[in-house]
Amino acid sequence: MSETGSEAEAAPRALAAGFGRLIVLVYVVFAVSAGVRAVFQVVVKFDAAPVSFTLSAIAALIYLVAAVAIIRGAGALAMLAVGVEMAGVLAVGALSFAVPHWFPEPSVWSHFGSGYGYVPLILPAVGLVYLFRRRRD
Amino acid sequence: MIEWLYLAVQAAALGMSAWFFVDTARSQLVGRRHFVGVAALEVLLLAQLVVAIAIVPGEAGDGKALFFSYLVTTILVPVAACFWGSIDRSRWGIGTVAASGLIAAALMLRVHQIWELQVHV
Repeated sequence: MSETGSEAEAAPRALAAGFGRLIVLVYVVFAVSAGVRAVFQVVVKFDAAPVSFTLSAIAALIYLVAAVAIIRGAGALAMLAVGVEMAGVLAVGALSFAVPHWFPEPSVWSHFGSGYGYVPLILPAVGLVYLFRRRRD
Repeated sequence: MIEWLYLAVQAAALGMSAWFFVDTARSQLVGRRHFVGVAALEVLLLAQLVVAIAIVPGEAGDGKALFFSYLVTTILVPVAACFWGSIDRSRWGIGTVAASGLIAAALMLRVHQIWELQVHV
């Protein structure tokens, strides 16, 4: 096919083009689903697990920032958001094993995102590799 | 939920995803046949919604709002991915739509879980 490697194109490519498009889709889906869930939990039963629900809301916000930054081509902001996300899932994942009573109900990031098929752990790793490779180009 | 319809949706979502990932590997642009594939999945999802509207209100569980919010999200994701992916001139245009099939399958898994634990109790 003639439309193979977009890598060969001379014109600068938008951050949300190519593989970035798939990443944005996943980020938007996570921002929406984690966000709606967090709002629901904070409104209806915040006292049941305040740490979990606050962390879920923060995670949703970070997903949203990452998605918007990639769409708008703000590479540095995207890198920051995805970096914070990576740190967050690692820290919260470890904390959820170390101090389980803080997490009577799971957050998006507890147990390294096991409730979401570990996508919350894989996503920032893939995102960081993508963003670093795009910055190097 | 009707079990065979749920399984048909899962088969359609995963089948569409596999097909589109093959086209991703072959660097195909999003074309008419892909829209037909997404439309087929959407028909099954809408059938699922119609059935749910008919039977869910009569169930005893308290997870009905949650159930419908997930089901409607599932219906919207492949359509949104179609728009978002079709504007890409690289292989990842169809790759994005392929990924939406996996996302739809995962969301349907959750819908089914909510049905079993929080609706059909």
